[in-house]
Amino acid sequence: MQTTNPGAPVPQDPQRPDHRPGQLALGIAAVLLAVALAYGAANIPSGAGYAGVGPDFLPWLVSAAMGLCGVLLIREVRAGGYRNMEEPSGAARGDWHAMAWVSAGILGNAALITTVGFVLSCALCFTLAVRGLRISEGKAGGNAMQTVKDVVIGMLISTPTFWLFTKFLAVNLPGLTGTGWL
Amino acid sequence: MLELWNNLMGGFATAGTPINLLWALAGCALGTAIGVLPGLGPAVTVAMLLPITGQVEPTASMIFFAGIYYGAMYGGSTTSILLNTPGETGTMVTALEGFKMAKSGRAGAALATSAIGSFVAGSIATVLVTLFAPFLAEFAVKLGPPEYFCLMLLAFTTVSAVLGQSSLRGMTALFLGLALGLVGMDQITGQVRYTGGVIEFIDGVEVVLVAVGLFAVTEALYNALYEGKSEASMNKMNRAHMTKTEWRRSWPAWLRGTVIGFPFGTIPAGGSEIPTFLSYATERKLADPEYKKEFGTTGAIEGVAGPEAANNAAVTATLVPLLTLGIPTSVTAAILLSALQNYGINAGPQLFQTSSALVWALIASLYIGNVMLLVLNLPMVGLWVKLLKIPKAPLYAGILIFATVGVYGMRQSSFDLFVMYGLALLGVALRRFDFPTAPVIVGLILGPLAEAQFRNAMSIGEGSWTVFFQRPMSATLLAVVALVLITPRVLAWHRRA
Repeated sequence: MQTTNPGAPVPQDPQRPDHRPGQLALGIAAVLLAVALAYGAANIPSGAGYAGVGPDFLPWLVSAAMGLCGVLLIREVRAGGYRNMEEPSGAARGDWHAMAWVSAGILGNAALITTVGFVLSCALCFTLAVRGLRISEGKAGGNAMQTVKDVVIGMLISTPTFWLFTKFLAVNLPGLTGTGWL
Repeated sequence: MLELWNNLMGGFATAGTPINLLWALAGCALGTAIGVLPGLGPAVTVAMLLPITGQVEPTASMIFFAGIYYGAMYGGSTTSILLNTPGETGTMVTALEGFKMAKSGRAGAALATSAIGSFVAGSIATVLVTLFAPFLAEFAVKLGPPEYFCLMLLAFTTVSAVLGQSSLRGMTALFLGLALGLVGMDQITGQVRYTGGVIEFIDGVEVVLVAVGLFAVTEALYNALYEGKSEASMNKMNRAHMTKTEWRRSWPAWLRGTVIGFPFGTIPAGGSEIPTFLSYATERKLADPEYKKEFGTTGAIEGVAGPEAANNAAVTATLVPLLTLGIPTSVTAAILLSALQNYGINAGPQLFQTSSALVWALIASLYIGNVMLLVLNLPMVGLWVKLLKIPKAPLYAGILIFATVGVYGMRQSSFDLFVMYGLALLGVALRRFDFPTAPVIVGLILGPLAEAQFRNAMSIGEGSWTVFFQRPMSATLLAVVALVLITPRVLAWHRRA
C-alpha cells in the first residue's frame, strides 16, 4: 500500500482520525527518552577492567539506538505517517470519561491497599472499574442500587481470593484487621 | 535401554497412584484456568503456590507444578485465540493468527489445531526427554558466553523484525524493553543504574509487573477507552474441530514446530519466545502461496499449528537442563528449581541417581498430563470458554483484582501498583500506534542476560570483539542474524527493481 512517491504526503481519509500528531509525539518521546538515557549513562562510571566494556556500554548503546529510532519515526511521520500501519481496533475517539473511572479504581487501589486492606481496596477498585467499563459500553454508569450490587460482587470476588491466597497459599497480602479474615 | 524402560515403568507406577493422579489433574485444571484468564501466568501461579512445599510430599508437588506449567500453555492459547489477550509470552504468537482465524469464524479449528498440536508436540517431546536428557544437556554445556550472546541476539532480531508490520516500531519496542531491563543493579559490577534515587528500583523492574501491566491492565484500559462499543470482542466458538484440509495443513506444521521448539527449550537462551517466533516465520515462509495471503488477514492455520507445537515442545524441553544440569531455561523453570531446593533436592547430574524415583515419576506424569490436557482442552474447551462468556465489564474489572494479587504478591509494594498503572498507560499508547509489545518483554527478560553474556564473552576475548567471530558456532549464529536482518530488505529491493 506504499504510494509510488514516498515523499508526497498521504492524503488523509476524512473518516479516519489523523494519527500523525500522536505518532509524532511518540517519536519525540523516543528521542527524549534517548536523551534521558544518555544523561543517566554519563553518570555511570565506565570501569571497564578486563572486559573492555563496562556497565555503561549498554546504556550508551540503548540510548543511541533509541535516539536513532526516534529520529527515524519522526522522519516517517513527516513523510505522511508511519509506514504499514494498521488501523487500530476500536473506536476512533477515546472515551476518556470511562477511562477516568477505571484509572480511579486502579490508582485508588494502589493508594489504599495498605491502609484498608486487600479485600476492601479491591472491592473499591472493582466498583470503580466496572462503572467505567460499563460507561464505555454506552450503558449508564449505574444508580445507587447498581453501585451497591457492584460493591457486593467486588467483595464476593476479592474475599475468597484473599482467603485462598493468604490462608492456603501463605502469600502476604495486606489486611484491614489483623485477623487475616478481612 | 532396558534400564530406561524399567525406570520409566517405575515412574508410571508412582505417577499412576490415585493421589498423584489427582494432583496431576488439579495442576492441569488450574494451569488451564490460569492460562485462559489473562494476566495470571504459570510462573506467578507456581511462585504463589510455593508455600505448599512445606506440607506436600515432593513428587506430588512437582507433578502439580508441572501440570500448572503445561496447562497454562494449553489454556493460554484459548485466550489468545478467543480474546487476543495472551497471558503467556509463549502464546503471543498464537494470538497473531489465532485471533484472526477466530474473527473469521474459524475459532473452533484454531482451538483444535492448537490443542492437538500441543498434545502431539508434548508427547513427542516427552519421549525425546526420556531418551536424550543426558545427551542433550551435555551438548548445552559446550556453549560458552559468546554463543549464548549470539543466540540472544538472534532472538532480539527475530522478535523485532518478524513480528508486526514495521521493523522500526519493533526495534523501538525492543530498545524500550532493554532500557527497562537496565534499571537496577548491574549483575557484574554491582553498579546501580537508572534508579533515579528511587529505592524500589534498585532491584530492577519486576518482569511480572511489566507483563501484567502491559498486557492485562492495558487490556482493561484500552477496552474502556476504545473498545466499549465494539461488538463482543469475544469470537463465536463453534465446535473445536478441523476439516480434512485443515488437518492436512496442520500436521506438518506440528512436526516442524516440535523440531524447532525442542532444541530451544534445552538451551538457556530465553524460553518460548524465540522458537514460537521462528516457527511462525518458518510457517509463513513455507506456506503454499494460496495460503500465504491468509497470514495476517483471515488467519492461516499453519500460523497457529506451528507455534503451538513449538511452544509445548520448548516447555517440555526446559525440563532437560533443569533436571540434568540444574539450569532453568525459563522463568517458570526457575521457580520449579526453587521448589526443588525447598525440599533440599539438588537438581543436577546427580539427580538421576539420588532422586531417580522422583525424576521418573515426573517424566511419567508428563505423559499422563498431556492426555489430561488434551481432554480438558478439546471436548471440554466449552467449559473454559464459559469463563470467557462472563460479560466484559465485570471480567476486566475482576482481572484487575487478580492483577493486584500478582503484582503486589511479588514484592509487597504498593509502589509497584503505581508503576503497573504507568506501564498500562504506555501499553495503551503502544497498542494505539501499532507498536508490538512482545519485544518489550523479550528485551526486558533477555536484555540483562544478554548483557551479562556479552561482557563475559568480552572477558574471555580479553576486550577484543573478534572473540565472536573466531569461535565457529558464534560466527555461524552471527551470520544467521545478519541473514534475518538483510534478507527481507534484499527481497523487497529486488521486487521493486
